[in-house]
Amino acid sequence: MLIESSAYASRWRDVAPSAKALFALTGLGAAWLARSPAAFAVLTAMLVLAALLGARVQLRSYIAVALPPLGFLLLSCLTMLVGPDSDGHWRITTAMLPTIEHTALRSTAMLAALLGLVLTTPMPDLLALLRKLRTPELLLDLMVLCYRMLFVMRQAWDESITAQTARLGYRNWRQAWRSTGLLAGQMAVQVWQRAAALQTAADARVYQGTLRFLPTAYPQAKRQLTTAALAGVVMLAIALGDRL
Amino acid sequence: MSAPLLELQAVSHVYPDGSNGLNDCTLTLQRGRRYALLGPNGAGKTTVLQHLNGLLRPTTGTLHYDGQPFDYSRQGLTNLRTRVGLVFQNPDRQLFSALVEEDVSFGPLNLGLHEYEVRHRVTAALDAVGLGGHARRAVHQLSFGQKKRVCIAGVLAMEPDVLLLDEPMAGLDAPMQIELTALLDRLAERGVTVLLSTHDIDFALRWADDIHVMAAGRCIASGPAQQLAAQTDVLHAAGQRPPAALALHAELVALGVLPHGPAPRSVDALLDTLRALKHTGVTTA
Repeated sequence: MLIESSAYASRWRDVAPSAKALFALTGLGAAWLARSPAAFAVLTAMLVLAALLGARVQLRSYIAVALPPLGFLLLSCLTMLVGPDSDGHWRITTAMLPTIEHTALRSTAMLAALLGLVLTTPMPDLLALLRKLRTPELLLDLMVLCYRMLFVMRQAWDESITAQTARLGYRNWRQAWRSTGLLAGQMAVQVWQRAAALQTAADARVYQGTLRFLPTAYPQAKRQLTTAALAGVVMLAIALGDRL
Repeated sequence: MSAPLLELQAVSHVYPDGSNGLNDCTLTLQRGRRYALLGPNGAGKTTVLQHLNGLLRPTTGTLHYDGQPFDYSRQGLTNLRTRVGLVFQNPDRQLFSALVEEDVSFGPLNLGLHEYEVRHRVTAALDAVGLGGHARRAVHQLSFGQKKRVCIAGVLAMEPDVLLLDEPMAGLDAPMQIELTALLDRLAERGVTVLLSTHDIDFALRWADDIHVMAAGRCIASGPAQQLAAQTDVLHAAGQRPPAALALHAELVALGVLPHGPAPRSVDALLDTLRALKHTGVTTA
């Protein structure tokens, strides 16, 4: 939800998703090519600053979204510090330090590229981009329905929890377990009913077997793509210059 | 009079669970008129609307469309649903796209229209419901009233001849009800036939040309709004009290405040009549 609300609030909300995707993709490519810590630092700084200063993503939201993957990265790096020695005993070893450093820096730069995209592009725009890139219709239809149903079901879940709480459904552990069980059972029925209702509603609007939606128009797309491409070229140049 | 646009002839409907939805219901819609389908909860109003859009098929009886019995072929259903739009009561059960403009474009795209035409229709439909600036908002960020208007826009964008609305006023606050009524008036002026279900007799009398009354799955009476609203026995059978405007008017006539004559269709109109009396200096006993 935080990712989604940041994307809607971002200044780049109405920038063509193709331009933002190109920028993120070249960022990923540059992070893949770069070798030295300095190059990784520059790339990460560029990508993070683009999101924070360019797209005006709030620093607090950025950190909150970045923390879980960074935590995962930290855990992975820590496990690489432990390994068997020649006698087969497990111990802390520094042999992997260069690899750990490289992996951590590259992953961080790649994470920054990805966050730049998802924190500025709402899910519906990403889906529209995938549609443009000719992703199979069935997969997209499922994604659209899942996305919409996520909010519908969350609202239904929250309302039911409130209704149960109002009638002391969560007064103690025993009742809380019982209420949660009842709610889970009820949600199954609700999912079924809502799925049937959506099918009926789609039929009423001449549903023909595929969910067709109007693609959003981005009048500035060409200019934005050019800017993204130029920024991408700069990042790739930094990475390639690092290799040479 | 020309052939009715849509007609249910002695339609009964039994749901798969064995419950009776409709029982020998006959109901007619003429071109360009405003209809209210009046009845208490569970009277079968939604079932009637779903029959008129071809979503449900009569167990017995027939649906007539343009004077001909409807054939329920795939092409026939497409034609019917292109011309007869249905807005559901609960917006969360109708909206399934992530963005407002995507959802509104769903129907027109299903009609196979060109993208340019679809874009034009989406803009016009959103403007018509007062959501012109909300095209790119996510559906889940909208209020209940806004979602309801998106639902209406989604059907308007298909430019139907007949608009069916299931309890359109339910859950809307007073200003939004006034806005929606104005929108329905504009549509009716453009020649769109409108049928809406309601259990508000005052609104039905104020707004509709004709009223169809339902009770327990039966279509018990149909007729011009003012005549039907005066039939207390019919209203009583449908669990309705007499409209406030008529009851007040009758009392004021009995008191000698107002002369005998046709009753106004709303309390507001009645108040206007009383204020006019005050200005002319009429005094009462």
